[in-house]
Amino acid sequence: MTEQAKEELSLEARLARLESILARMESEDVELDEALHLFEEGVGHVREAERVLAETELRVEELLANGETRPLDGNPG
Amino acid sequence: MSDELSLDLFNGAEDGHGEPAPPPAPEPKVWSVSQVNRAVKGLLEANVEPLWVGGEIGQWTRSRAGHCYFTLKDDRAQLKSVMFARDAALLPTDPDEGMKVRCFGDLTLYEARGDYQLVVRRVEAEGAEGLWRKAFEQLKAALELDGLLAPERKRALPSYPGTIGVVTSPTGAAVRDILSVLGRRAPWARVLLRGARVQGEGASVELARALEHLAATGLPDVIIVGRGGGSLEDLWAFNEEPLARAIAACPIPVVSAVGHEVDVTISDLVADVRAPTPSAAAETVVPDGVALLSQLRRTPERLGRGLRRAAQRRRSAVSEQLARLARAMERRLGPARQTLDMGALSLERGLRRRIERQRAGLTGLAGRLEALSPLATLSRGYSVARTPEGRVLRHSKEFRAGLRFHLRLNDGTVAAEAIGLVEEEGNDG
Repeated sequence: MTEQAKEELSLEARLARLESILARMESEDVELDEALHLFEEGVGHVREAERVLAETELRVEELLANGETRPLDGNPG
Repeated sequence: MSDELSLDLFNGAEDGHGEPAPPPAPEPKVWSVSQVNRAVKGLLEANVEPLWVGGEIGQWTRSRAGHCYFTLKDDRAQLKSVMFARDAALLPTDPDEGMKVRCFGDLTLYEARGDYQLVVRRVEAEGAEGLWRKAFEQLKAALELDGLLAPERKRALPSYPGTIGVVTSPTGAAVRDILSVLGRRAPWARVLLRGARVQGEGASVELARALEHLAATGLPDVIIVGRGGGSLEDLWAFNEEPLARAIAACPIPVVSAVGHEVDVTISDLVADVRAPTPSAAAETVVPDGVALLSQLRRTPERLGRGLRRAAQRRRSAVSEQLARLARAMERRLGPARQTLDMGALSLERGLRRRIERQRAGLTGLAGRLEALSPLATLSRGYSVARTPEGRVLRHSKEFRAGLRFHLRLNDGTVAAEAIGLVEEEGNDG
């Protein structure tokens, strides 16, 4: 489970998984064993998501006509 | 030049009256048709400034090369007009027959035919945005017919896109606005910009190709297509078919973001989501990072609460189960106990019967044993002779003279010695 949290999940997929974990854990019929696993996995996702969200610089690239990408200089942000 | 021309013409006309011609009569100047038409063309072009002409459209035809031929007319007259492909390409659509328009252009003469005509550079339908409105409605109807405007085609945007595609002018205000909002709200995101011209001839096709190219990389989770505000004409690329079709065909959700000058564009209608401005599109596309982060920080606590509840549920479930088990056992033990009691009872009864039976049997047996006991016989006056080794002497001939033997009586044993046989009449007794 914690391995799954470390995998290269997209932020979208990770937060969606976190949502479903929360929904499951806040349901009435979750067993303790399952809850334990979900807790570990959920905390892993939170940690990974926070790591992603800690990024402070917007990465801006330009897609060129030849299909290559290059960082856009002079980020106007 | 015109003075000279009119003088010549005048002189030429005068010549016709002279009769008879004076002897050195100079030959009249004869103009070729081409010369005349070129001269008139020159007159027109030199003397008439470009002008607006109002009238109704008649006999509009568009040639294969894209040139448009038509007449402008009112109730009394008509004026041949042409719009060459370069200008006609900028028309949003062809005007209808009889449509009231005003045309801006130059008067000239088509030398090959001698027709004078208005070379039109611009056509504007009467009433605000006439031609644009017509083109808009036409394309909208066509897309509607193809089902491309159906609400059920609209896709939901991803909630937390990692990569955001942007198709717009790389130098416009739109890209600045978009990047500024994205940088503020979702600095973890990646932006992939594909530049394209957003106005002018061919802009719609260029935007369409850019969108296709960006989508083909498979990298963006969502794509913003747009530009800042401008006049209706500036925004026209977003009302044209190439971009509309490309948006409809895009495998990635598209947000249309055209500046706020007009109420709606065709791109807005086809896109999955319409944003009124590029900034608004950026806001729509990404979550607010600050809010997301604080929500995320509360998550472990929520997870912990869930875990604690599950544990408590389990604990109470265990005691609940124990109580249930106890009740169930009680329910099943009750009858069992009764059965057991009854069993014990009958067992006891049976046992008692058996014991009594056995006791009765034993008493009988004792009587029979008593009866069998030699002592009883002995008590009646009989005795038993046995060798000192205990062998019972049953026959008289065993008693040789001098045999020492024991005689067992009812109340004791006597040592005895045989003397000899006694002659006796009759049988043993």
